[in-house]
Amino acid sequence: MSVELLGVLLLGLGYLALLFGCGMAVERGWVPVRVTRHPVVYTLALGVYASAWAIYGSIEFASKAGFGYLAYYLGAAGAFLLAPVLLVPIQRITRTYQLSSLADLFAFRFRSRWVGTVVTLLSLLAVMPLLGIQVQTLSDAIHLLTGSRYSAAVALVFCAVIAGCAVLFGARHSHRHRHDTLLSVIAFESIIKLLAMLGLGAIALWWVFDGPQDLQQWLEGPGAAAQAATPQLEAPQWRTLLLLFFAAAFMMPHLFQITFAESLSRHTLLQASWSLPLFLLLMALPVPLIWWAAQSTNESVPMAAYAAYVMTEHWWVGALAFIGGLAAASGTMMMIALALSGMLLNHVVLVARPPEAQNDLYGWLLWLRRGLVVAVIFGGWLFAESVGRYHSLTNLGLTAFVGMAQCLPGMLALLYWPGANRKGMVAGLIGGISVWLAGVWLPLLFDISVTTLLFMHSMPTDSPHWYNVTLTSLAVNILLLILVSLFTRTSEGERSAAEACSVDAVIRSKRLPLEAATAGDFTAHLAQAVGDEAAEREVERALKALNFTPQERRPYALRRLRDRIQANLSGLMGPSVARDIVDRYLPYRHNDAPLTDDIHFVESRLEAYRSRLTGLARELDGLRRHHRQTLAKLPVGLCVLGDDDELLMWNQALSKLSGISGDSVIGSHRDSLPAPWPTLLGSVLSATHTPLYKQAVALHGRDYFLTLHQAVLSGHDSRGGSVILVEDHTEMKWLEDELVHAARLASIGQLAAGVAHEIGNPITGISSLAQNLRYDTEDPALLETADQIQQLTQRVTKIVNSLVGFAHGGRQTVPLPASPATLKTISEDALHLIHLARSGEDVIFTNHCPGNIVVRGDDQRLTQVMVNLLSNARDACQPQGNIRIEAGTEANHAWWRVSDDGHGIAPSVKDRLFEPFTTTKPAGEGTGLGLSLAYQIINEHQGKIDVASPPPGQPCGTAITLWLPLYQQDDLSPHAPDTDC
Amino acid sequence: MYVYRIMLFLVFGGYLLSPLLMDGWGDPSIAWYRPFAIWGGLIALTLWLEQKRKLDER
Repeated sequence: MSVELLGVLLLGLGYLALLFGCGMAVERGWVPVRVTRHPVVYTLALGVYASAWAIYGSIEFASKAGFGYLAYYLGAAGAFLLAPVLLVPIQRITRTYQLSSLADLFAFRFRSRWVGTVVTLLSLLAVMPLLGIQVQTLSDAIHLLTGSRYSAAVALVFCAVIAGCAVLFGARHSHRHRHDTLLSVIAFESIIKLLAMLGLGAIALWWVFDGPQDLQQWLEGPGAAAQAATPQLEAPQWRTLLLLFFAAAFMMPHLFQITFAESLSRHTLLQASWSLPLFLLLMALPVPLIWWAAQSTNESVPMAAYAAYVMTEHWWVGALAFIGGLAAASGTMMMIALALSGMLLNHVVLVARPPEAQNDLYGWLLWLRRGLVVAVIFGGWLFAESVGRYHSLTNLGLTAFVGMAQCLPGMLALLYWPGANRKGMVAGLIGGISVWLAGVWLPLLFDISVTTLLFMHSMPTDSPHWYNVTLTSLAVNILLLILVSLFTRTSEGERSAAEACSVDAVIRSKRLPLEAATAGDFTAHLAQAVGDEAAEREVERALKALNFTPQERRPYALRRLRDRIQANLSGLMGPSVARDIVDRYLPYRHNDAPLTDDIHFVESRLEAYRSRLTGLARELDGLRRHHRQTLAKLPVGLCVLGDDDELLMWNQALSKLSGISGDSVIGSHRDSLPAPWPTLLGSVLSATHTPLYKQAVALHGRDYFLTLHQAVLSGHDSRGGSVILVEDHTEMKWLEDELVHAARLASIGQLAAGVAHEIGNPITGISSLAQNLRYDTEDPALLETADQIQQLTQRVTKIVNSLVGFAHGGRQTVPLPASPATLKTISEDALHLIHLARSGEDVIFTNHCPGNIVVRGDDQRLTQVMVNLLSNARDACQPQGNIRIEAGTEANHAWWRVSDDGHGIAPSVKDRLFEPFTTTKPAGEGTGLGLSLAYQIINEHQGKIDVASPPPGQPCGTAITLWLPLYQQDDLSPHAPDTDC
Repeated sequence: MYVYRIMLFLVFGGYLLSPLLMDGWGDPSIAWYRPFAIWGGLIALTLWLEQKRKLDER
């Protein structure tokens, strides 16, 4: 091995070691994530477009076509300038459905594994010449620098190291995710090749020439003749070249992967719309300088592509060009190998041998992919050594780019023509590929005479061969795509996929029920296809991505889960295999019911697209939002059910009423709603007449009365279903009940007034007889009896008067006296009367009222109050129970309390204790008027009543405290009414 | 979206007029860097449109 060869080997391996170190630094987290995920890193990674062609091929092309070489850069710049209308829609589709390659995208759109396989094979054939360029430029550069005949073997060593790096940085993990390390490594290579090109340009401009002025003088002087002799491209050829490079910029396998599968966000891609063209400008700028510098030093440059070597005689200039070329070639080879291996795995290997339920599915796929990465890079070396070395870089490059351009009609149809179908796509591809193979690819392998076969002889001879082949192949491709698509049937699946891919459309997913009823069922079903471990992981990943729980049962959620699993499997095994697995193991349950749109899903997609809508669509979306908000904010509960009883809407008022959030139930089946809603909604749906008034339901521990209205959504523009309004009439029901109760009281009051009137006459008679008795006897016992009869008849009279007063609207007919009343005396009188009842004698009454507390009021009526309170207390007490009467003063009021240790007042009665006819006693034992009258009397005395049951600090019993104004000396006015009436 | 229309107009207009870029090669009366200057101007315009789009979407 010569010293020069060893030097180049060490230089190359040293650079690759540096690359490895850079990758490891990112892998181990030594480089901050904010750096590795910076949009600039993404743009630099996109710089992989500038392959060895950009270093060597462009100089060769400049020597043949002048500024025509710029088509390579301007085509790609144009593609990225159109990022908002071209690349962003593709990015949306690839991210939504986890499509990582052009073959995935076409197989998804055209629902055909054949399309995926054809595109993969086309990509393999197209990138081989491009890979050949990378290997050939390496091999030629080594040969040029060292003169060694072992350059091919050294290139093979470099290929082996590059394959190792590709596996290490791009195929290390089983799951598909963004390769930060790989992107950072590719970005690093872009920096190296950019610096190398700028360095070579600077050397040319300021070393070989003496600055820009010297260059201009040379161009006007000695160099003018050579430049004038350089052939120029015709305008149609230039435009065709632009089109080829435009297509290559995002359809070449490696560029598709970086542009769409590895991009962070829409914003990152949009930023590349100006930053990548800037990078390409800087890469393109030195090309003519290097070529002119080489021409100025050597009039007949032997190898235009390696002009940088011949422009100076210094080894380090050659080494700089070599490193730039190696950086460009290694990055391109790594990315092509990784992208192509994924395509071959998904669309050739897995289609030929579908995955079975394996224990280690991920490991199996990973090793297959690694093997394919190595095979692709080795294939590139083989192609370069057996075919590429006999052809110019321009020839090889154009062959690759014309091949990939065959996917351009399909891509445009994918985005803008939903009418295209798989038959048209396959026919167009096969037609275009056939022309391309016969026109430029096969002639690389065989004798040139092949090109004279078929129809090539009819082409114009004054145009370049690549130009004729490009136009013919694309024309055949487009014609077949359109004609076959127009005259053949498009399947339902294709229509659905076309809607998903179309730039302007929103997916109109259908509401189909699934066989699997829970997320757990998903794992069990999927395990039959991919094994237990993989099924568990995939379901878990999908649940996590969707933020669902494993207990999820909502049909809407299960449909989203199915879509997500299909998308994730698509990223792992390609869309064709993923679709087959999901269709087979997670099938929909087909019934005779008409298919309806998944409105909730459509709405969620519309929300996501909001910023992209313009014009009329934006106005309509604004109206949709307005109407949606109207329903959502409606102060009446509203829910919408589909024909299949799936819940489509659950507004805020209903969420508040039911305590169930809309997010947790929308998409559920009616039967899976929490009780009592399934029954309640079911009853209104099955009712022949609505509304259903005041349905009694228990919601979160309270009784509610709900009125339900229903309307069927039918008609020409309707998607079916029912809308149900739920009104809370609990308050109204309570008011109605109160009204009925009040009416009942009023009628009873009138009745009582009548009865009282009738009682009044006999009572008057009894009172008169008692009075007579007093006059007719001297017997003290009889006199006392007569007094008591008179007191009792007075009491009956007052009760009767109260009843009459109550019946007349609660107004007391007898004016309230302002006379003094001693609480102790009243208490004793009341106790005396209670004892006369001859019941409750086993209850202990104690009077603790001080004798000096005098209140303002009517002692008879206050006695009546006390009797009622004592009577109730006595009835509440057990034998030997204690009842205490106490009194005290506070400010201008006296408190007067009756407390017992009885069973207390039931909570259900406490709220209506002072309502008339409220009693807990058995029928016939209590009128329910006692406390009502007491309340009324105390109210008339400008007092109030406090009830404590049980009293504070006691386990049982009741304490009723009356508050009455204290008697003041000036209460007796000169015109005070006579109390003796 | 109006920004996208300007970009579409730029790209297709540029596509049709782009053959003029090649005229500078071998013509001493035209500065050799003219295609790059035009290209740089287009990049600046794209950058401006991108900033405008960002503002529109806010």
